[in-house]
Amino acid sequence: MQTPTIKTSRFIIAGVIVALLMAGGVALFASSSPDGLESVMLEGCTTTEEGDIDGDCVAQQAGEHEIGGPLADYGLSFVDNASVGGSLAGIFGVLLVLALATGLFWLLARGRRGRSEGA
Amino acid sequence: MSDQALHIPNGIIGIPTSLVFALIAALIVGACIVAARRGLDDRLVPLAGLATAFIFAAQMLNFPVAAGVSGHLLGGALAAALLGPALGVLCVTVVIAVQALLFADGGVTALGLNVINMAVISTFVAWAVIVLALKVLPSTRFGVTVAVFAGSVVSVVAASAGFLVQFAIGGEPIGQSLGSVTAAILGTHVLIGIGEGVITAAAVTAVALTRPDLVRALRGARIADPESRLAEERA
Repeated sequence: MQTPTIKTSRFIIAGVIVALLMAGGVALFASSSPDGLESVMLEGCTTTEEGDIDGDCVAQQAGEHEIGGPLADYGLSFVDNASVGGSLAGIFGVLLVLALATGLFWLLARGRRGRSEGA
Repeated sequence: MSDQALHIPNGIIGIPTSLVFALIAALIVGACIVAARRGLDDRLVPLAGLATAFIFAAQMLNFPVAAGVSGHLLGGALAAALLGPALGVLCVTVVIAVQALLFADGGVTALGLNVINMAVISTFVAWAVIVLALKVLPSTRFGVTVAVFAGSVVSVVAASAGFLVQFAIGGEPIGQSLGSVTAAILGTHVLIGIGEGVITAAAVTAVALTRPDLVRALRGARIADPESRLAEERA
């Protein structure tokens, strides 16, 4: 079969760009309907325009999130425009997860290296 | 609550059950750290980081699966196909932890529950199905696409079954029976699984076309040439 033609560094950069476009752009057009889990938990209830839940259903047991925070629900609480806030939150999230995961896996690989060299 | 996305919020499953599952999750993730370390070298680190960031981004893209119901990628199948099960579990765990701690997506008390379902169950089930399917299917790109699609569908349904077990132990059905919750959860997650399968098969096929050596599930398969590019660059 054909030999691979893309360098690892280019592959990584292309992948990061795709992820940033998804989280910072495409996500703005994602479905806002309740998801599979939430829709089943809302069975028996009606949701008012204000977002209140009326009736008897499992979802009523759900508490406020323990932390919340400025990035809650993939927005930026201090940015008034929901699209801009959502886009920035998505971009920040991708970069943060990229840095965090790469750092953790680097530490893990380093720990392995250190151990095998010490042995 | 409207932006909670397939993640269990706090309050749905009782605290004792949540804590037991948190302990189990910690033990399994710990075992995955030990197992992943064995196969992890420096060349894999940026790829695992990218896969994690990609899964975070993909989880933001809710797609409609029925009238008024959406779903999104879990990512376990993608992580398993690209990186193998142990490293894959770690990728999805990082995503779920960041979502719970920073984005208020999934309760902090429900973190163990969500890690068990979306990281552990989905990744390991996807890996098992992909490996089994590749034994039967031809080791061509088409075979890989089919195997990854099948693994994705089964992984999402298995993850939702994990929730049902947790709900049966520590949840309280209100306004509907446990049986109807079970039927509804499994039904919608078959549809979400098909979405997961389409996205994951497309992503894995795209990687297999450009860099087949980066697809862990292809290791040993005829179309991958694991020593080719990475070895060249390292030299």
